[in-house]
Amino acid sequence: MDSLSTGSLSGGDAKTTIMNQVRQEAAVANAKALIEKVNEHCFERCVPKPSTSLSRSEEGCYSACMEKYMAAWNAVSKQYVSRMQREQSSAGFIGGGSL
Amino acid sequence: MDRSIGSSGNLDMSSLSDSDKRELQQFVMQEAQKATIQQSIHSLTDMCFKKCIGKISSGKLDKYEEPCMQNCVERFMDASHLVLKQLENMRTSS
Repeated sequence: MDSLSTGSLSGGDAKTTIMNQVRQEAAVANAKALIEKVNEHCFERCVPKPSTSLSRSEEGCYSACMEKYMAAWNAVSKQYVSRMQREQSSAGFIGGGSL
Repeated sequence: MDRSIGSSGNLDMSSLSDSDKRELQQFVMQEAQKATIQQSIHSLTDMCFKKCIGKISSGKLDKYEEPCMQNCVERFMDASHLVLKQLENMRTSS
């Protein structure tokens, strides 16, 4: 909502500029981590024996694998966040709750 | 997030008011916390994908894989709490 391209930076603009930059770097780092993991897993699964080029089926496997990895990421994310919320709302933060 | 914020070099930090600085500090802390959480999600996904995902025939998680991913997260957290508990026991019993 705030534009980055202002001529002179007043206090507020410097603040939003920094915030936007931090947000963007966080998003890039997150995307990088995801891409790295997708490549690692999908190469392992889809290209067991690398030949001279990627075959049609390897490419198909890759796109399914990517989609699947992201679905898995989302499932983990949902579960992790809900677990955190459950733990925070239960009495003890770390030791609390039944194991 | 390994590059420093000041890398662009053209930000005038002195123009920030004290309340801006405080707000920024809080914002950066929140972002750092978010980044830590995302990092945990990455490593959990990495681990659980290995354990739960069988053949890659479609892009969707099938009816076994989805609950497996969920259980994997839950059990990993149980297990890590167990470690803390055991350590606590060791500490108090010695």
